[in-house]
Amino acid sequence: MKRKLFIASSLSAALAGCGAIGTKLNESDRMHAILGAGEKLDLALIGTHGLVREYAASDISREFPINSFDTPTDAAYAHMIGSAFASFRLRVSGMVDRPLALSLAQLNAMRQTVQVTRHDCVEGWSAIAQWGGVALRDIIALAAPRKGAGFVVFHTFDRDADGVPYYESLDFSQALHPQTLLALRQNGAPIAPDRGAPVRLKIPTQLGYKSAKWVRHIEVVPSLSHLFGGKGGYWEDQGYQWYAGI
Amino acid sequence: MQTGKTVYRHSAVARLTHWLFVIAFLALVSSGLQIFNAAPYLDASDKTDPARRVLQIYAPAENVGSTIVFGHAFNTTGWLGWTDDGMGGKTGRAFPGWITIPSYQDLADGRTWHLFFAWIMVFCGIAYLIWGFARHDLRELVLRPADFRKLLPMQLYYLRLRKEPPPHGKYNPLQKLAYTLVLFVFAPLIVLSGLALSPSFDATFPWVTVIFGGRQFARLWHFVLMLALCGFFVMHVILVATNGLRNHITSMITGRYKLGAHDGVGV
Repeated sequence: MKRKLFIASSLSAALAGCGAIGTKLNESDRMHAILGAGEKLDLALIGTHGLVREYAASDISREFPINSFDTPTDAAYAHMIGSAFASFRLRVSGMVDRPLALSLAQLNAMRQTVQVTRHDCVEGWSAIAQWGGVALRDIIALAAPRKGAGFVVFHTFDRDADGVPYYESLDFSQALHPQTLLALRQNGAPIAPDRGAPVRLKIPTQLGYKSAKWVRHIEVVPSLSHLFGGKGGYWEDQGYQWYAGI
Repeated sequence: MQTGKTVYRHSAVARLTHWLFVIAFLALVSSGLQIFNAAPYLDASDKTDPARRVLQIYAPAENVGSTIVFGHAFNTTGWLGWTDDGMGGKTGRAFPGWITIPSYQDLADGRTWHLFFAWIMVFCGIAYLIWGFARHDLRELVLRPADFRKLLPMQLYYLRLRKEPPPHGKYNPLQKLAYTLVLFVFAPLIVLSGLALSPSFDATFPWVTVIFGGRQFARLWHFVLMLALCGFFVMHVILVATNGLRNHITSMITGRYKLGAHDGVGV
């Protein structure tokens, strides 16, 4: 009887106790500093190497979930939708020799690439779509980053319910990856307003939150610490990993 | 017979990695269930596909929890689907707050825990295996062809249909089977199926994701392997607790083990 009691109590206590201890430890900044080693190892040991699989058109998901904030509602964005983004300019600035302000027509006139790739959401689901647009590395090459540049930051029209801007960042190994795309089209049609029109980032080597929608400004910076929460992205500032390769 | 004699059974590396593994395993299960809660379904496919759904845990209505396995729905209200929100209330979520890290719904922190302890598990496993090979400790642990014919007699002994266990070494044939499966099949596969979920790892080693049947299928394998390891964990604790609890715990702390009536028979 004692033994049975021991088994029953040790098993449930192990799991519940683990959950309780973990929840308590989760409040500690020091614990998070230790746990952060996991992300550093992921970045060092997995990194960003190789090309993701490209699928056949028949693999495209019939429904592609939308998992972001609502379409921007500010006057400037609404005006652009009304004028078919005629006044839209994608700015590229920061540590670059040639700052850019590219219209949609100019972006469409650049070399276009198409990929059918899988989008892996941090929540756990996956969906496949065809993305068309300009390889980010072509735009970066055009802007000519200066020595000392460390990250490429994406500012967007996107805001959360409290007005906090959505932004993202990539290092150069991710930004120059041949499948990292500034997408202008999804499944052949121009990116819809609720999917990030007119330009969104699509980086299939990373989890979905890296693929910022409604990109308006690309900034090349030496480090991320001076931007917003300092962690390099909207979700990163709320505890998600900057390295979203896993 | 050497019954009662104390022997040095577990190396310092084996003992250290064992207890680190216990901590890592519990943290991984708890944080993994937290991560599962963010997309509480498993599909036997590459992309998400409701037509190939194997498991879904959800709340079809307020105060109702439902678990669907291969299309069969079970009412799991209070346990799964509609359960403890980790903050003293009830809510629609797959696994209850008392089992997850953190207790409340927080995917970011769940991932932080999971991705840290996954490496602890990997490093423990590598250290244990290298040390075990180098010191020949694994020789007595790994199932060999000669052990196959002893598996049934050993099971019969456990079922009390046979008086004596078949002669065996430090570990009996069923122990060897369990340890061999865990060390060389389940543990490597749960690590690989976890890595298969990584879009960057998938870019570097696409065949890994392919052998699991795609990304969502790998997520299903990862879950099933977790259940298998939990099954081992339960059996392990039961057997330890019913076969000289103090002796086993002591031996996994100090390394020193007191031989029982059937230990070392036939060595």
